[in-house]
Amino acid sequence: MADIRVPNDLWNADETPEGVVANWLYRDGSEVGAGDTVAEIMVEKATMEIAAPAAGRLTITVPKDGVVRPGTVIGRIDES
Amino acid sequence: MPNNRVLTGSRAMVEAIAQEMRADPKVFVMGEDVGPYGGIFSSTTGLLDEFGEERVRDTPISETAFIGAGVGAAMAGMRPIVELMFVDFFGVCMDAIYNLAAKNTYFSGGNCKVPMVLMTATGGGYNDAGQHSQTLHATFAHLPGMKVVAPSNAYDAKGLMTSAIRDDSPVLYMFHKGLQGLAWMAAPEEASTEVPEDAYSIPFGEAKVVREGRDVTIVAISMTVHHARAAAEALAAEGVDAEVIDLRSLVPLDREAVLKSVRKTGRLVVADEDYRNFGLTAEVIASVVETDPGLLRSPPRRVAFPDIPIPYSRPMEQFALPDADKIRAAVQQTLGKAAA
Repeated sequence: MADIRVPNDLWNADETPEGVVANWLYRDGSEVGAGDTVAEIMVEKATMEIAAPAAGRLTITVPKDGVVRPGTVIGRIDES
Repeated sequence: MPNNRVLTGSRAMVEAIAQEMRADPKVFVMGEDVGPYGGIFSSTTGLLDEFGEERVRDTPISETAFIGAGVGAAMAGMRPIVELMFVDFFGVCMDAIYNLAAKNTYFSGGNCKVPMVLMTATGGGYNDAGQHSQTLHATFAHLPGMKVVAPSNAYDAKGLMTSAIRDDSPVLYMFHKGLQGLAWMAAPEEASTEVPEDAYSIPFGEAKVVREGRDVTIVAISMTVHHARAAAEALAAEGVDAEVIDLRSLVPLDREAVLKSVRKTGRLVVADEDYRNFGLTAEVIASVVETDPGLLRSPPRRVAFPDIPIPYSRPMEQFALPDADKIRAAVQQTLGKAAA
């Protein structure tokens, strides 16, 4: 199992503590490939992409519009 | 194993453009901030990285010049995709659009084609005031010579863009900002959809029945499709079974789909975010009553933007914009009921 984590250095949390999940680009339970863009994170109107850390079945734990910080786990991949 | 890939409206547009650019070296993109910025409504994100500055061209802020250049490039054999950042900016470039793009095929006796896509952002709901919030569907659908499409979701956004690029006529591709899946603008849940990775096209002039029903027909396009669906769900709880039609294109207009539905339901509500008077809503109603005035069992209703400049103030804009409640009330009127 691999966590899908918002990278710690995606933005400077001292300046902007929180962002949101702007979009999930796969439905919960989909099979995704390693490196596929699975989600978009929005911080101060800038959108950043989150890639799947492994290939496998996607489980979404923070839904669209959920609040995230650097390091937040937003889902996981169960490797098949 | 399911691979339920979901795209936003903007990603679906970009995917269609990129696939056609890979397939045809004549396709290129031009407009304000389409390069490094990726389009202010994300309609060209990532294209510069893949295709370079020759084929993804940032222009000066002169719509007159670069839309005129797009018409010329199209007549010379290219297939330009030109972005008019906000449809509201059409004023300065209307000669290039109406008198050149729309007419040159005719004026050359068919010797020249104008295979240009003019893509442009429409719509309000985010408090950007009267010069950045219009849809202006009818302004462009009114004059002959162009095809005009306005998708309501990502699947249609990709398929209609592919068709637009491959078409030899000028196509006005009107995308609503609130359907792009932009992180900073609320979008209806159904605007992002599963989208096949392979290229596909959707024919112009084919409306889609997005909800079947027996009691009343609600005809909508672009953002109002989502309002109509929400209204239909609320009406279902009240025992009213509404059919919802997404026109998808204004030109050509699928009048037959409307007639087929109205023959079944006998009642009609038309919803459009454009101004009410002289607009799409009247055109759809005219299509029905010109065919057979006996098809309707009650007077048809229009839900559209009142004929005022779009207010900046949030409560004033929300008061004026079409929404699910206004559509629901209009449906109740066609059923002879007072709006609850």
